[in-house]
Amino acid sequence: MAENYAIELQGITKSFGKTVANNNVNLAVREGEILALLGENGSGKTTLMNMLAGIYKPDSGRILVGGKEVQIHSPEDSKRLGIGMVHQHFKLVDVFSAADNIWMGKDKAGLPLRRRRYDEIEEIAARFGFSIDPRKRVYNMSVSEKQTLEIIKVLYYGAKTIILDEPTAVLTVQEIEKLFDVLRRMKAEGHSIIIITHKLNEVMDISDRVAILRKGEYITTVNTPETTEQALTEWMVGRKVDLNIDRPHMETTRPLLEVRDLTIRNDEGAVAIDKVNFYIRGGEILGVAGIAGCGQKELCEAIAGLRPIESGQMVHKGDNIVGLSPKAILAKGISMSFIPEDRLGMGLAPSLSITDNMLLKKYREAKGPFVDRRAGRADAEEVIESLGVVTPSTETPVRRLSGGNVQKVLLGREIKAGPNVIVTAYPVRGLDIHSSYAIYDILNKQKLDGVGILFVGEDLDVMLALCDKIMVLCHGKVMGVVHAHKTSKEELGLMMTGALDLSEKYADKPAGIAKDSLLEPESAEEVRRESSTN
Amino acid sequence: MGLRVVKRDGLPLWKRAILYLSAVVLALLIGAAILLFLGVNPLDYYYQMFTMGTVNNPIAYKTFMNYIKELLPLALTSVALSLAFKMRFWNIGGEGQFIVGAITATYVALAWGPKLPTAVTLILMCVLAMVTAGLYGLLAGFLKVRFGTNETLLTLMLNYVALYALYFVGETKADWNLFLQEQSARPVFKSFKDIVAFPMIPIGDKFKLTSCVIFTLIIGVAIYIYLKYTKHGYEISVIGDSAGSARYAGMKVNRIVLRTVFLSAALIGLAAAFKVGSAGVLSTAITDDVGWTGIIVAWLAQLSTGMIFLVSALITVLQFGSTVAAATFRQVDSSFANMLQGIILFLVLAADFYTRFRIVRVKKGGKAHE
Repeated sequence: MAENYAIELQGITKSFGKTVANNNVNLAVREGEILALLGENGSGKTTLMNMLAGIYKPDSGRILVGGKEVQIHSPEDSKRLGIGMVHQHFKLVDVFSAADNIWMGKDKAGLPLRRRRYDEIEEIAARFGFSIDPRKRVYNMSVSEKQTLEIIKVLYYGAKTIILDEPTAVLTVQEIEKLFDVLRRMKAEGHSIIIITHKLNEVMDISDRVAILRKGEYITTVNTPETTEQALTEWMVGRKVDLNIDRPHMETTRPLLEVRDLTIRNDEGAVAIDKVNFYIRGGEILGVAGIAGCGQKELCEAIAGLRPIESGQMVHKGDNIVGLSPKAILAKGISMSFIPEDRLGMGLAPSLSITDNMLLKKYREAKGPFVDRRAGRADAEEVIESLGVVTPSTETPVRRLSGGNVQKVLLGREIKAGPNVIVTAYPVRGLDIHSSYAIYDILNKQKLDGVGILFVGEDLDVMLALCDKIMVLCHGKVMGVVHAHKTSKEELGLMMTGALDLSEKYADKPAGIAKDSLLEPESAEEVRRESSTN
Repeated sequence: MGLRVVKRDGLPLWKRAILYLSAVVLALLIGAAILLFLGVNPLDYYYQMFTMGTVNNPIAYKTFMNYIKELLPLALTSVALSLAFKMRFWNIGGEGQFIVGAITATYVALAWGPKLPTAVTLILMCVLAMVTAGLYGLLAGFLKVRFGTNETLLTLMLNYVALYALYFVGETKADWNLFLQEQSARPVFKSFKDIVAFPMIPIGDKFKLTSCVIFTLIIGVAIYIYLKYTKHGYEISVIGDSAGSARYAGMKVNRIVLRTVFLSAALIGLAAAFKVGSAGVLSTAITDDVGWTGIIVAWLAQLSTGMIFLVSALITVLQFGSTVAAATFRQVDSSFANMLQGIILFLVLAADFYTRFRIVRVKKGGKAHE
């Protein structure tokens, strides 16, 4: 064969218990190309790559590096073979400097820590066009800096093939552009790159070829210029899919939830949300965009009554909700669902059954000392039925379900309670296309029922299509509230990084304060005056 | 070639039962090897131990009565501990709470027993033992929810506080110390057998069943229902699984933790009241280590209330049987039972691992062989 393959995988099979994660998968990456690995959640992308990284071993099949068959028993083997992986969750020591994070993995580094290591790391970073301070500690770094450090780390160890597992999930548009520039430069130097993603526009933008997995099976590899997003989706999902997200138009009501001058501190005591104003009307979806960790979590927790606020007002239908207990806020019809990174932390009890999880917020309603499991089971059956949750029974522990089904259970319960305000953070986090669209449909249905929805999201494309308005946060400050159909990804990206501040765009109408506010006019006036003097 | 751990799920019940059973058998075989080394015929020894010397014994009914006397506090303590464990509150303080309950119950019997009707004294013994033991447990619970202290360390250390308090009471001759016999020059705990005791239910002509059996069984069933069907039980399991979700659901987590810890410790206090009320005298070894053994029992039973009764019955056979066997086989101390118990726990935990995972041999080339 004329082509030189950097890595070839032949007939790889890997199973965990009864689940087959990869079944007879073939994959080849050429020298000096960018190969996108595309597939829905649970299609086995990460498992496959982890076998190259030496984290798992295949049950059967062959791995060829540079045309020779190899055995990869450990991450060290993988490193020696010139394979480097940047994991989705970074593997860095927070209290170490950038240089030390790289240094500690070096076999022949020797015991003494020499000052030279800083220069050495800086040199290699410069060679690939990165700018990084080798003395900076990881806990002071932004997400994009950490990712850069991970990439420098694998390059430093002499990786010829670099695997990136969903590298763009945590980055802003501008940062993604920067990352892609770096990848193109590495490709030009002869590196091979495998990039895992499920964002089709990125696949089209960066890759030379695309390999597609579906439910652990290898489907095909195609040349990127010869394919379309629609074709890729059909391969990935296995059938025709409508990629449009609806944004039904609704007559909105007066503000349901109004937030004025809200300031919240995070667990470390730093200001997480800084004098934020916004409001949600019934029948609209307000998106919240921002880089990970810029106050979204604290905001959600504060609205749900789980976190004390420093100052400001939160008003629901004209009634103050500051200082109310989580229970009292629930009773007002405000539902909060937050999908954390581990997807199970908040809102569900993973070891308990679906039935028991349905009861979480309403078990008190039953009369007498006993829990009404029959009601819970009925709810569970209804949610399973209406949202198509895949589960053996209503009594299956939630942690045994797959990610999409867990999120459906959570959202299904929240909607069953008939809230008038839904606060939902990352409801499609880690979900595949199919499940994500199911969730968008659920939210749209709620919107048509006149529910006000606060949607904290990650994917700007989705937010632009789904939300009516988008509020952009940067370091806890509102950079502006924009109409989704009037803005662009670039504009949002600039606002997310703080480069663009639209909060003062209209002199007559400050961002996030409703004209027909239910707050007392005098007090609203006061608030405005106060915030302008500060 | 190497070994690999592979997850498995859905192992049928009978297979799991076989695994656990073989763990116990293996433990007995190891014990047998040690017995052989000591020059004792393991078959004879185990026969004595498991029959507790009741075969061809004219006073076997007495053995059985003593067996039940040992079993009850263990089962009740273990049930009480499982309450806290379900909530992931690591109450290691069963010993201390038991001692506090025992001292309280004894005080009530000695100070008020002579003046009050027996039934009233017994009720007061139980109630006050529950209150004091409950408060003693609550101390660790309060410090945990208020200041975030580690309940494992705290309950553990409080065990020794209680134990040394008991030593102090047991060895200090003084006018105020009504726990000791006035006549004796040496410090000896005063018996209140003649003042107050739990009523015995005669079954047949000789055998008498202590009424505590009935109380303990009722409590066992009540706790089973409490954990499984009540709102409180539901709250306990949610907090044990995810305290964050519990708070999110509007549960007052701290209050529930305190309530459950109090209940857990109070039931241990009740177990202590049953114990002293049956023994009729305090002693420095009054706990019989139920605070420790109860932890083992609770975990062996995987915190299931029904299983706790079964496992405590078996563990008590082991402990009581080894005391009996020690009388026949003088070279084997009764602490042999403790060792055996340790081996069993160890192997059952290993069996537990095998119910959830299996080990697969991997040949080079990545092919797995089962």
